[in-house]
Amino acid sequence: MNAKTQDLSARSGKTARGVLLATLAFGFGLPTVLLAAVLVLSPVSKPAMLVAALRAVGVDLSAWSPNARYVLWAVVMVVLALIIVTFAAVISGMTVWWEMRVSARMQSRIGYNRVGAGGYFQWIADAVKLLFKEDLIPADADKLLFRASPYFVLTGFALVFVALPFGESLIAADLNVGIFYITAVTALVVVGILIAGWSSNSKWALFGGMRSAAQVISYEIPAGLSAMVPVLMSGTLSMQGITRSQGAWPWEWHAFTNPFALVAFGIFFVSQLAEGNRTPFDLPEAESELVAGYLSEYSGFRFALFFLVEFGNLWVMSAIAVTLFFGGWQVPFAGPEVFAAARGAGELPGATWWGLQVASMLVFVTKTLLVLNVVVWVRWTLPRIRVDQMMSLCWKYLVPFAFVTFVATLLWEILVARAPVASHVAGGAMVAAMVVVAFFFARQTRQNISAVGDRVDFTNW
Amino acid sequence: MEKLILRRVDRQNEEMILNFGPQHPSTHGVINFLVETDGEVLKRATPDVGYLHRSIEKIGELVGYPGFMPYTDRVDYVAAMFANEGYAIAVEKLLKLEVPPRAQWLRAISCELCRIASHLVSVGTMVMDIGAFTPMLHGIRERETINDLIEALCGARLTYNYHRIGGVAFDLPEGWRDKVLAFLDHFDKFLVEYDRLISFNEIYVKRLANVAVIPGPMAVNYGLVGPNLRGSGVDWDVRRDMPYGAYPNFQFKVPVGKGYFGVSGDSFDRYYVRCLEMAESSKIVRQALESLPEGEITAKVPRNIKPEAGEALSRVESARGEMAYYVVSDGTNKAYRVRVRTGSFTAMSVIEDISPGLMVADLVALISSLDVVAPEIDR
Amino acid sequence: MPQTVREYTGSIRNTVKSFWHGLSITLSYLARRPTTVQYPDRTPMPVRDMLPPRYRGFLEVDTAICTGCQACERACPIGCIQISLEKDPANPKQRVVTQFDIDEAKCMFCGLCVEPCPTGSIQHTREFEATQRHIRNLVFRWSDPLKPFPVYKVDKNAEYYPRVPLGSLVRARLETLAWDRAAPVFLPPEPAGAAKPAAQPKVAAAAAAGAAPAKAAAPALKAAPTNGAPAAEKPAVVAPVGAPAADGVKAPAPAKAPAAEQAAAEPAVTLTPETK
Repeated sequence: MNAKTQDLSARSGKTARGVLLATLAFGFGLPTVLLAAVLVLSPVSKPAMLVAALRAVGVDLSAWSPNARYVLWAVVMVVLALIIVTFAAVISGMTVWWEMRVSARMQSRIGYNRVGAGGYFQWIADAVKLLFKEDLIPADADKLLFRASPYFVLTGFALVFVALPFGESLIAADLNVGIFYITAVTALVVVGILIAGWSSNSKWALFGGMRSAAQVISYEIPAGLSAMVPVLMSGTLSMQGITRSQGAWPWEWHAFTNPFALVAFGIFFVSQLAEGNRTPFDLPEAESELVAGYLSEYSGFRFALFFLVEFGNLWVMSAIAVTLFFGGWQVPFAGPEVFAAARGAGELPGATWWGLQVASMLVFVTKTLLVLNVVVWVRWTLPRIRVDQMMSLCWKYLVPFAFVTFVATLLWEILVARAPVASHVAGGAMVAAMVVVAFFFARQTRQNISAVGDRVDFTNW
Repeated sequence: MEKLILRRVDRQNEEMILNFGPQHPSTHGVINFLVETDGEVLKRATPDVGYLHRSIEKIGELVGYPGFMPYTDRVDYVAAMFANEGYAIAVEKLLKLEVPPRAQWLRAISCELCRIASHLVSVGTMVMDIGAFTPMLHGIRERETINDLIEALCGARLTYNYHRIGGVAFDLPEGWRDKVLAFLDHFDKFLVEYDRLISFNEIYVKRLANVAVIPGPMAVNYGLVGPNLRGSGVDWDVRRDMPYGAYPNFQFKVPVGKGYFGVSGDSFDRYYVRCLEMAESSKIVRQALESLPEGEITAKVPRNIKPEAGEALSRVESARGEMAYYVVSDGTNKAYRVRVRTGSFTAMSVIEDISPGLMVADLVALISSLDVVAPEIDR
Repeated sequence: MPQTVREYTGSIRNTVKSFWHGLSITLSYLARRPTTVQYPDRTPMPVRDMLPPRYRGFLEVDTAICTGCQACERACPIGCIQISLEKDPANPKQRVVTQFDIDEAKCMFCGLCVEPCPTGSIQHTREFEATQRHIRNLVFRWSDPLKPFPVYKVDKNAEYYPRVPLGSLVRARLETLAWDRAAPVFLPPEPAGAAKPAAQPKVAAAAAAGAAPAKAAAPALKAAPTNGAPAAEKPAVVAPVGAPAADGVKAPAPAKAPAAEQAAAEPAVTLTPETK
């Protein structure tokens, strides 16, 4: 035993090159493959494109009966849906890994570092472990509802991806009621949580479910109202329409062209935190109060589904915020005319167009990951608020301010219609102000390190 | 007890009983609270203690006087040094021993370091109960340094068994004093950072200010001690008002709850008094290290300790408040009776009176602001 | 709840201000080095070498300088040390320690036994890793009952006592312990009639220890005080058949004792010869 310890002590903490390469290949490869599948399938799944694409590979659909064509189209859509749900699961797992790494550093710990380079494969190991765990159902639980609730949650989560734009043409369905649809299907999650809380036959779970219901339903209102601000600014509910009405540069984003939109973003962000049950609004599963809230009695695969949704929601809320306020997938120097020119007149778009799609997807993913990091950061800094404070924050602060931003945006739009320069001036001024704030924040951060006698050291990341 | 409560609960009003414990993340050990709630609002919370009873007082009658010392570590394992000190002082009173000054200084140094360590756990777990995890681990990180220091001093990190009847077990190791001073320099800055990180966080303040207010007279009536009592604005500290050991030689302030963000005696005051006490303890350790006298570290103690028949009471200011040891000797080499009076036990009694009208989340704040440690409640 | 406009705006201002500080501090920790020590396999050196010299780990007895004074046994508050002394049959003036058992699983590492030791024979080491499936493997027998060690005569003029390097004995023991090693049986392996003369004291001592609660044999053989529960013979103490064992000792022929103790031993444990 001691001899073994000795051997291990001699081993350094360095990761073997093979492990590192495998981790990098898998860590970047898996999302890349999934994103590439989304990239190809989401334009191709449109009926006209599907016909053209198949003709290009030598299959002529015009000979098929209409029903057969519908079936084929449905199959492609199902494949796309599966890819997107898989992407959601993978991104949720990766978020877990990343969050654990970041939170560990914030707490002077190392965090995941054993399975794969940087402990990357830990989320896979955890998922496998959860799948193999015993599936427990409490004795007096309502078994049907207990089994059903994770699927409500998963459905509410997965349906959001239908209207989530990944790029210029990369969206499963560009609904003309996009943001309204997203708000609506998100509410399905709370149904699942409420069912989970009630059917578990546990007082803690019941508390969690009730808190969650109160919280999510209340915060729908400020979230919806503040989401109306970009809708007002772009004049459409469609997610692609909202993105297209913004530009690629920060001073063309909704958040910075209208001072009230920035406030609206704050309200939207807080509301999304609350709807996603993230700290400081993790009351439904407050571990120090309710043990695990509505999750108390769940284990194994059902727990894994809840967990997946919780972390996948990070991506969803960040993606929605990016689309509404931060210019979505807009690529610099590539306006709609560039996309149109690249597409060409043919039935199938040209290679440049695909390249532009990749660029737009990269922009979108990068922005989303940045916002996602902010959510992670907030979670590991703030304590949890109390249930009555949660209500008072919603109804006394967020809702009135959301109304104010809503009305003020109406007035602002009238002003911009009269004098378009107002939006440019606001954009320039607010971006400059943001840069100044970021500078001071970075300086403050730097001072924090030297104030306690530490020094900047990234060597052990 | 459960039956008693079940009878009282009015089923018509959809009240329910929640067994808040014995295994619950925020009971800080094995305590049960029988909570009658109407939704989120508590009707009352009744503490049900005794899950961690280990008969330590009885053990004190069965093992000899020196042999009981390691058991005192287990009375309050978060701040074991004070339990050591209290017992040692009580037996020294029985033996009419004069403890050498250097030993007294070493006792003060070790105890104040231990107080910092204990308060770091207290404020850290309190923050964790309120929902933030990061500050708790920052506190634990600083405590690790203290643990390392105490480990270098006496060889153990948790159950120190450092004090002896008539003195202390070890003198300072070489280079220890500089390590402590370096740590304290860092620690004072850390306290500022900790306050900025969480103490004045608006959510945190709002969660604690004006919550579970224990007015001063009520705190006295319930026998609250230590930071819980001082948080209620009662200016009482055994170290200053009934000095023992080396404490008369040190200058230090006794922080008192002034209603920093709410009214005096609320959860935030109890929390913040501990933060301030850590800074004062740091000052005491500095002074003690500067004025450390030379000399013996133990008095001349007979190998077979047989005090004359009699009784002795010692009072020390533990991290959890006044801790009293009452030792009765019948002239043999084993105590006739050992009684430990601890702060956590009396703190439990106040919960039932304070709890009506609180919310479930406030109960968590109340429990952690009282800084109860389950083994100290039950002994 | 805010009552005035000032409170309302003040809480917003405080929120922004305190979040500014809090977020900047957590962010700054991303650029600092973590403090985690990755026990056990990624430390710069074995953890026992990182521990301070006063660390209270496993007890170690250097039998070469043990005076057999039993001070440690008396000091131990939980009675995890068990010492038996006999007269050497070959040399009646020489006393030998036939049993020096320390139950490390029971030990609470308080250090009280170290302090009264006149020669520093019993010491805490910095060893602490000894996971065992069978807890009885943690009873360290410092005296081989078959070869009892003679007590050390203190030389009044000696400036120091020749002690082996601290920790070397415990480490040697621990290295022979696989974690899932079968538990030892602290009983004589062979019937008393076939016992070698050297094994005789051991039989008696073991029986005495087993019969300690019966009090009859204890004074006769200078065995453990009754408050110090014998470390090794747990089953024998617990089982009611410990009483016949006492009879066996009191009678000149110890023929009955092994049988009684065999009955008291756990049935699951196979009877193997003494290994230490």
